[in-house]
Amino acid sequence: MSASAWSSETGIIPLVSRPALLVIEDGHEYEEFAQAFLGERYEVRAAHSAEEALAALEVQMPEALLVDLRFERAAVSDLIGDIDGTARRRFAGDTHRAIRHLKEQQGTLVLGALRDAGCDAPAVFVHDFPPRRLANLRRLYGKVRAVPAFDARAIAAAFEEPEQ
Amino acid sequence: MRAVLLIAVASALGLSCTDPDDPARDSRAQWERAQKAWERGEAGAYGLWKDMDTDTSIGREAHRRLAQADPFYREGVELLREGDPDARLALARGVELAPMDPSLYLPLARACRDQGLSLRAAEYYTKFLTAFPEGRRADEARVELRRLDPQLAGVFESRTVLPRAPAAPGRSPWLLVLVGVLLGGVLTLTGQTVARFFRTRGVSLEKLVEGSPEFHPAIAYLVGSLRHELLKHRIGAAADAIRNTADEERLAFLRKRLYGGQPLVEAWEAHLLAFERALGHRVDLHRDRSFRRAGRAIRRIARLEEGIAGGSPRALRELARSHTTLMELDRQLADLIGALIRTLVDATLLEEVAHEVRSEHSAGAVELETLAIEAPDERVVLDVFRVDLVLILKNILRNAILAVGEDPAPRHVRLDAVLELEPTGEETVRIRVHDSSSKELDPEILFDRRVDRGLGLVAAAVHRYGGTIDVEPAEAPFEKRVVIAFFRTFDGDDV
Repeated sequence: MSASAWSSETGIIPLVSRPALLVIEDGHEYEEFAQAFLGERYEVRAAHSAEEALAALEVQMPEALLVDLRFERAAVSDLIGDIDGTARRRFAGDTHRAIRHLKEQQGTLVLGALRDAGCDAPAVFVHDFPPRRLANLRRLYGKVRAVPAFDARAIAAAFEEPEQ
Repeated sequence: MRAVLLIAVASALGLSCTDPDDPARDSRAQWERAQKAWERGEAGAYGLWKDMDTDTSIGREAHRRLAQADPFYREGVELLREGDPDARLALARGVELAPMDPSLYLPLARACRDQGLSLRAAEYYTKFLTAFPEGRRADEARVELRRLDPQLAGVFESRTVLPRAPAAPGRSPWLLVLVGVLLGGVLTLTGQTVARFFRTRGVSLEKLVEGSPEFHPAIAYLVGSLRHELLKHRIGAAADAIRNTADEERLAFLRKRLYGGQPLVEAWEAHLLAFERALGHRVDLHRDRSFRRAGRAIRRIARLEEGIAGGSPRALRELARSHTTLMELDRQLADLIGALIRTLVDATLLEEVAHEVRSEHSAGAVELETLAIEAPDERVVLDVFRVDLVLILKNILRNAILAVGEDPAPRHVRLDAVLELEPTGEETVRIRVHDSSSKELDPEILFDRRVDRGLGLVAAAVHRYGGTIDVEPAEAPFEKRVVIAFFRTFDGDDV
């Protein structure tokens, strides 16, 4: 439920109506950064796995997503993606390499799960994707932006960026 | 990252458990000692890990990692003994996880010796003898080390008897001559050792990249980790706080990011150590001006903690300068890695492969109805050396042509390349060799390393570049196809 829907349903008007920003990462660095530098503009929430991110949608549909690409600290049980299939198809059956790959690319897969769940908020990755890769992500997941470094102004601008 | 995870677990426990008698505190301290010993490359690190109490979560994790690392180390030693270049990858995987069982130092020393890596061999013999000074294996190690380096072996003699000092017979001129000769000998040996040190010292990272393509995957991984974990998450993330007004919140952010967790200098040294562990003496990062400057910048930032905490404008200016230096290294590393290997998969490449195979005596003698070639419609680049890719494809195509040659006509072969979009936004390039031979190609044969049969050596080459090889059914008139797949390299020119 969005902040405006919530307020119209409950009749309670929030004192400060800020759009919800859902930060998705395996640690807390993005969240700390967002609280410090984007907190005035957004209501920052955090999720640390696909499961938590999907649960967060149930509480409130975010207006913006800040997504970490690599989930290297995540437990294997928290990962989404087909480990065995990836191992067989891309890593000659080596599950160790498949897990590493899924961790390194987990952010994109979590974004895919959010899109499947109906969340179409613009998503920003702090990563210097090559243009073709970014174009592919947009083909797959719609409003996807990338900024090369932690730069609050650039991230905020990316959320506002018109659709490509 | 697992180390970070463990430290994070340890920190989390630290926050939740405040009882001073809590046994978890001991395990945390024990873990920190074990971790530090490993980072310093101490021979006793394995023992400290092994001694971790399995009744604690940290201890269980340490034991799990030891168990996980062990097969990689053993595989690495075995592959090195066979001269297989994949050895380095297997060993690097072990190094990512936990220290090596010191009992493996001896087989590793022997493998290094057999591969002509004498300096490395001597190092591991030395480590083995330090860990196991007594016993039959130690005696064997001493003999082998003596053959390799008699001087070094002397240090590890089990019964070293120091010569008795001669009684002073008065001031004999012969004694002075003898001392002079000995001194001269020592100086000569020292000179030779220094000269050998300079001869065997590693090269800069850039030179290693240029001259040793076999290390490219390892270099890319090491540089990626350094850039992601340190330069991006800790240094890069500070950019906003440096640029903006130094209010309390931003200073707190800076303090946490730069001085929270593993000390910066320690983290920097750990990354440099990872390079040394994975690449050995081949690389000497001190030869890179950018690394030297970055090292100084890291140390400068480490010294600024107090000034930054107090919001000192001078400290913040100094931080901004060091930040610029480190971001410059980050850009250079990005460029270096970006240009490592690039091979264009186009009609020219595929036709060259087909032409070369058809020029061979046996493969050229097989009459084919069709040998179709189809390149991708767009520019496709792979991170595989061209010479290796040609070799891989020639082997697969030759196999296919010789196989169809055993069947009656019509005989068809096709070589093509297609792209597949992955859910991660990456693309897989699948280069496929189709054939109409009824002969089954068991996937097991793909990994058979005997030269007279199978594609084991080809599979090893494909895996070295992070690719896969597989056999799958194909549409008529073909029976099957061998497919090698690699992640497509996005080199910036393709959108």
